[in-house]
Amino acid sequence: MMKNFSTKLLCVGVLLLLAGAPEVMAAVRDTNLYWAPEAVTVTGKRIDVLLNFIFYLTGAVFVLTQAVYIYYLVKYRKRPGSKAHYSHGNNKLEIIWTAIPTAIFIGLVIYSNRLWGEIHSAPPENSVKVDVVSYQFGWDMRYPGADGKLGKIDVNTYSVDNKFGLVPDDPAGDDDFASTELVIPVGQPVHLYLHSRDVIHSVYVPAFRLYQAAVPGRTIAWVWFETTKTGDFQLACSQICGSGHYNMKAPIRVVTQEEFDKWQAGKIAAKAQEAKAAAAARETRQSTAALDPATGSARNSAGEKL
Amino acid sequence: MSTSATTFVPDQGTADHDHGHHGPQGFFFTYIWSVDHKMIGLQYLWTSFFFLLLGGLLAMGIRFQLAYPGTEVPLIGMLLPSTVASDGIILPGGYNMLFTMHATVMVFLVVMPLLIGGFGNFLIPLKIGAGDMAFPTLNAMSYWLYVLSGLIILASFFVDGGAASSGWTAYAPLSSTAAYNNNTQIGQSLWCIGLFVNGLSSIAGATNYITTIVNMRAPGMTMFRLPLSVWSLFITSWLLILAVPVLSAAAAMLFTDLNFGTTFFNAQQGQPLLWQHLFWFFGHPEVYIMILPAMGLVSEILPVFARKPIFGYKAMVWAMVAIGFLGFIVWGHHMFVSGMNLTLGAMFSVSTMVIAVPSAIKTFNWMGTVWRGSISFTTPMLFALAFVSMFVIGGLSGIFMASTPVDLFVHNSYFIVAHIHYVLFGGSLFGAFAAIYFWYPKMFGRMMNETLGKIHFFATFVFFNLTFFPMHNLGLGGMMRRIADPTLYDHLRALQPLNVFVTWAAFGMGLATFIFLYNFIWSLRHGKKAGNNPWDSTTLEWTVPSPPGHGNFEKTPTVYNGPYEYSVPGMAKDFLPQDEKAPDGARLAAH
Repeated sequence: MMKNFSTKLLCVGVLLLLAGAPEVMAAVRDTNLYWAPEAVTVTGKRIDVLLNFIFYLTGAVFVLTQAVYIYYLVKYRKRPGSKAHYSHGNNKLEIIWTAIPTAIFIGLVIYSNRLWGEIHSAPPENSVKVDVVSYQFGWDMRYPGADGKLGKIDVNTYSVDNKFGLVPDDPAGDDDFASTELVIPVGQPVHLYLHSRDVIHSVYVPAFRLYQAAVPGRTIAWVWFETTKTGDFQLACSQICGSGHYNMKAPIRVVTQEEFDKWQAGKIAAKAQEAKAAAAARETRQSTAALDPATGSARNSAGEKL
Repeated sequence: MSTSATTFVPDQGTADHDHGHHGPQGFFFTYIWSVDHKMIGLQYLWTSFFFLLLGGLLAMGIRFQLAYPGTEVPLIGMLLPSTVASDGIILPGGYNMLFTMHATVMVFLVVMPLLIGGFGNFLIPLKIGAGDMAFPTLNAMSYWLYVLSGLIILASFFVDGGAASSGWTAYAPLSSTAAYNNNTQIGQSLWCIGLFVNGLSSIAGATNYITTIVNMRAPGMTMFRLPLSVWSLFITSWLLILAVPVLSAAAAMLFTDLNFGTTFFNAQQGQPLLWQHLFWFFGHPEVYIMILPAMGLVSEILPVFARKPIFGYKAMVWAMVAIGFLGFIVWGHHMFVSGMNLTLGAMFSVSTMVIAVPSAIKTFNWMGTVWRGSISFTTPMLFALAFVSMFVIGGLSGIFMASTPVDLFVHNSYFIVAHIHYVLFGGSLFGAFAAIYFWYPKMFGRMMNETLGKIHFFATFVFFNLTFFPMHNLGLGGMMRRIADPTLYDHLRALQPLNVFVTWAAFGMGLATFIFLYNFIWSLRHGKKAGNNPWDSTTLEWTVPSPPGHGNFEKTPTVYNGPYEYSVPGMAKDFLPQDEKAPDGARLAAH
């Protein structure tokens, strides 16, 4: 146990000292312990390029400044007879060390904001659309049915019976199916619509390099990504949302297109079956209601809600 | 000390205040309702130590839970309130209370009162050559409001439902609707009241500081002869006056949402993001409120032990002024991924990168100060030197979050926890430790023990880095902040040994603090006697006895020099006090 610890301690130390060495990076990446998990989205890989760039940049600045600093501390330590140099500063140096960081930061902000814009460009038409509804403490996913369209929703109508807030008069919503796991086809753009039924939650998938808050009362419609690898992941809430926050997660499965099509077809069929059963039940109910004109009319005017 | 309270005249606190003329004396007026700025400073210091221990204990609870979730807390588990733990095992909701209150206590009851209340009060009049603050009674009131806010926040642990548990950032509607958060209505309401009262204390203190610095400087003490610590507290006071009322207003709105059915932050009739905008409009200047005073204090200590003038005095002042202004237009960088407009996020990213420049300038100037110095490694100097390095790490890690796409990955992860602690602990608290070791002889007339001081420094420095550096790695590994049990996630299980490691390092850091407290108390009686000026320093507080008497100066000093005239060529001694005319042959240079 202790040996295990000291090895890890050494790893951290080595990372501190030799952060730039590719072998060290490779070693820590293999264990997945001391660096980020492998990015499995197209934008995630591009974010990693920027992340690594900032890491090397800040790492170089850190090593350089600290080396100079420690060198000064050793060289100019108090010794018998040593006398400090009397100086109030140097304006030329002030200008240099103002200008260089400014130039670096301007470059960095241009690079960052360009990538930020690309990540949030309009999602492609052919994206798989998923409505992700967060609540205390879990996730509901809604996929479009055979029509490929998500039914309209109203963020103010969430209820126990209408957990996606579907608007009843939009037929596109009739065949939408629900899921408690996020299943997505690899290599396809996926467009998420984020909602919350109660407090602010957030979608966090480290391997996707993805974080976005879901705000109650609003639709966040700018999140989309394309995965590059199949596998199992976890969707975590990363915004404190109450006593169950620590365990608010849902499975994510990135599967091949065939597997996805099969899964989707199964879900659509099940939904159709369900709709048929519901329609049959409604018919029975309506015919029963017709026997009693008074209650029947009451039901009609109140619609489905009664 | 005689107890002749018969001739009490309210202390006007002016620099020409009659030195022999005392206010009321006796235990109550000396130690409790004192209007002497030095005593109020010490009151702040002692009270913030108490809360430092409390906040530290809460942190230990957090670390224990993260290393050993679902295990009974040893020793104190059974003493924890039932809202925090059951059978000694920390509950998930109780864990939320721990980190919420840890941050609330550390920010509002430790770092701000310690740096601003403690050192601001003790040092400002002494350093500018004044007899007291402009408004001594307001000053005492400011301290007692701080105590009151602390008691209110303490009490919230024991009310029905327990303390606030929505994070110190209290994002609505989790915080504003009790039903969403385990019915912690009373706790969250007390949190609002506590912050409101604490805000009154800050505003009163800041008003006092600004008035004092503007009006009560001794003759010759021009603004550009002010020590940098006074400059930093002056700018901090402006930030307090402009930012704290926004938090107070937001806390009041949150309070009425919770208790009187208003809907400022509710999703249907109000706007949840409004809370975040108000909170961070305060919250980001707040970051500078907590670091600027530490920067000022460290800028004071480095020249003394390098025996050199501070490098680039005016650049240091303008950098702090720039930080003060820019600090008000960067708040949105806390909200890149909050659902705020994406283009707005890009704009805040620009202002955030800009504000990094003055911080870089300050770092280079500190390095310039030790360059070609004659450096003594005393305990205050070690903490001050470490402050610079830790601040560099905290500043550099901030660049990751300032870059919008990278924020998509590291937001709300342990990476940000590492970042904030490098700035707030490695920065603010290291600065505070440096300042305590440095001004202790002035406060109590005795030196702190150097050996214990060095042990405290090295233990704190090593354990601090072992605690917080690996948190960067935890964050990059995808560990969310504010989760009670990381082992529930597939991708975090592999990181658990690192969590255990961090916890033990944190325990070590906690224990190191007791070395400090022991030294602090032991030295009150047994420390080596300090003269007026044990460090051969130039600023005015070192010209008066240690500890200074009531009214500070026998007669108002006249200032002839800048604050950092060390190793002036052509002088016999290697420092020129601010109130001494330069001797013939001294070759002073303008800064």
